[in-house]
Amino acid sequence: MNKENSFDTLSRRSFLKVSAIWAGGAWIVGVPSLSANPHRVLTESEAEIMDALADAIIPPGEYAGGKDAWVTRFIDQQIGRYGYLQHDREMYQTCLPAINNDCRNEFGDVFTRLDKENQAEFLKAVEAGQYNPQAAERGWGDFTPSAFFNTMCNQCMMGFYGSPIHGGNRDYVSYRMLSLY
Amino acid sequence: MATNKHVNAIVVGSGAGGGVVAKELSYAGLSVVLFERGGWVPYAAHGDDELTAMRSFPLACFFGPDNERYRRVAVDQQGNERIVYPNDWAYHNISACVGSGTVNYGAMAWRFMEECFTMKSTYGHVEGSTLEDWPISYDDLEPYYEKAEWEIGVAGDDSKNPFAPWRRKPHPMPPFSHNKEARILEEAAKKIGYHPFSIPMLRNSEEFDGRPACVHVRNCVGFACPVDAKNGTQNTVIPKAIDTGNCELRINSQVVKILTDSNGRATGVEYYDEQDRKHTQTADIVILSASATETPRLMFNSATNLYPDGIGNRYDWLGRNLQGHAYCGADGLFEEEIYDGIGPGASVAAGDFAHNNPDVIGGAVLTNEFIKLPYAYSRGFRPPGSSQWGREHKDFQKHYYKRNASIRGPVQEMPNFESRVEVAPDVLDHWGMPVAKISGFKHHEDIRTAEFIAEKAAKWLEAAGAYKVWKSIPGTGVSGSQHQSGTCRMGNDPQTSVTDKYGRVHEVDNLFVADGSLHVTNGAFNPVLTIMALGYWVSDYIVKEWKGGNRFK
Repeated sequence: MNKENSFDTLSRRSFLKVSAIWAGGAWIVGVPSLSANPHRVLTESEAEIMDALADAIIPPGEYAGGKDAWVTRFIDQQIGRYGYLQHDREMYQTCLPAINNDCRNEFGDVFTRLDKENQAEFLKAVEAGQYNPQAAERGWGDFTPSAFFNTMCNQCMMGFYGSPIHGGNRDYVSYRMLSLY
Repeated sequence: MATNKHVNAIVVGSGAGGGVVAKELSYAGLSVVLFERGGWVPYAAHGDDELTAMRSFPLACFFGPDNERYRRVAVDQQGNERIVYPNDWAYHNISACVGSGTVNYGAMAWRFMEECFTMKSTYGHVEGSTLEDWPISYDDLEPYYEKAEWEIGVAGDDSKNPFAPWRRKPHPMPPFSHNKEARILEEAAKKIGYHPFSIPMLRNSEEFDGRPACVHVRNCVGFACPVDAKNGTQNTVIPKAIDTGNCELRINSQVVKILTDSNGRATGVEYYDEQDRKHTQTADIVILSASATETPRLMFNSATNLYPDGIGNRYDWLGRNLQGHAYCGADGLFEEEIYDGIGPGASVAAGDFAHNNPDVIGGAVLTNEFIKLPYAYSRGFRPPGSSQWGREHKDFQKHYYKRNASIRGPVQEMPNFESRVEVAPDVLDHWGMPVAKISGFKHHEDIRTAEFIAEKAAKWLEAAGAYKVWKSIPGTGVSGSQHQSGTCRMGNDPQTSVTDKYGRVHEVDNLFVADGSLHVTNGAFNPVLTIMALGYWVSDYIVKEWKGGNRFK
């Protein structure tokens, strides 16, 4: 457990460094690299929400959860210019902030700051369609909250259980969890 | 528009049917152009990536077609239409590459049973179904099954299967042995009176025809083989056809139209090359082997004044009777690990319920399931009501990945006239051609049979020691997908079929079909060996005619 954690921290740092340089050069010239967002499409705030969702969908434990397995990185890459899920880009950009918004209305705080139990309770309600009525008025645009949840949940599973070549399943963590390596 | 040198025969599509036809005709001395809209896809190009392989393809279909140039229209049972892309299940994709689905299939090499060819005389008229006998019998096709088994390569031993149809010659390779899961299932089957045997496979149990024996990887079905031990048309009959010097394989070439003259005879095809340049290729004979969705689409899109509703569609049978299989079965959880990682996983079968069941029509062979890869396992294979995410989901995945087994059966469907492929005139592909539109439903008898078969699967898992077992029954939506068939039915009566018993399109004596479209019914088994056998059958007719002096002019 300790070993895994320290390894995670190290890799996370070196990833941030490399991404910041790349991001600085290719996308946001002039922005100091220390504050650069390592993601290609998602804003820092969207990525933070996505990280929290990924950990709710695949909670950390003996093995990494969605966040540390780089599920957000998978989604960010796939909705980016060279990704397979570009058609879902607008959905994430619309629905991630909308999740926070609905959460604030319901629990008085954004999703990322809720405790795990409230996060799960809220997501179950989203999954069940309880937030579908009048969603457009609350910032969901043309998207249906429950449909977003299903797509997002499915894509979290892809990021966690699929091959690392697509940006997720960091260090083959899910394969190790299943004792496949 | 560029024009090519005239050849004797054009084959459209290099899958199970077309690859065989190209080889047979070129061996007989005919000059052949074999068209394939995709290219070569070797293992090295995709590796072991589950998300783009041909089993669950949630990101894309690595074996093609691509999402940029291809689409279809899917119609649900309420009549709602939507545009779908190849990596959507509703697209009913097979593969678009040299060898097509035979590159990445699970490679089960079934012969249909005698009854699979005589469904109507065996079971009688079924209300709401176009159930019919084939115009050919198992006996007619038997020599061609043998040829497919020996030329392409099958490992198996029918002597262990008391329900196997008769055969003159054994399989060319010995059967595969079982992994841990299949050994447990084999013993259990015997205990409850089933007759287990090793699934015949188009895969090498020993070195065969210069290719090595199987190395039992986990990522088999859905993937090309890393050592070339899986036998498809791409590594058997197609290279052989090319070696004759008579066959040119033209890859990355999308055929869009069959050309016909003022007498209605086929003169060739129109196609686009990789750079989207339009060409024509003329020939004495045209053979369509583009699949049960793309073959009828091509015939619809080739309408002329003589064939206003599409070639071969005078009596409105083109594209009708689309079938796949009503897959059903059961899943079970075990206390102990039963997984040993020896691929491909599926190896034990029982033929007890393929036919002659009480109170249901037809049936299905039962087999254990291929190894489930991690993403696929995360999306299904759980007892009804299980969490689809969260802690419980992750714990289930971790605990049961190596403690589960599934039995599945491809229930033979009752064909129906309303399950069909049409074209959507207002939805065009990259080349401006109307795309295929797929609609229909399963006959209610299919669901009844599926429930019967699932019960037998559940009983098998319980006997194997599964402590929790649940059944899996298909929905009522139209079938097709990788087992798609039936849309150019062969028959003796031109008013109720699209081709004659040799696959020749009624009214067009130099236009043939050689793929799953010909199937009158789709058997209680995976269909690929039957499609290969039909490739030999159709070719044999053409070659005999050719050698007898018929130049199809």
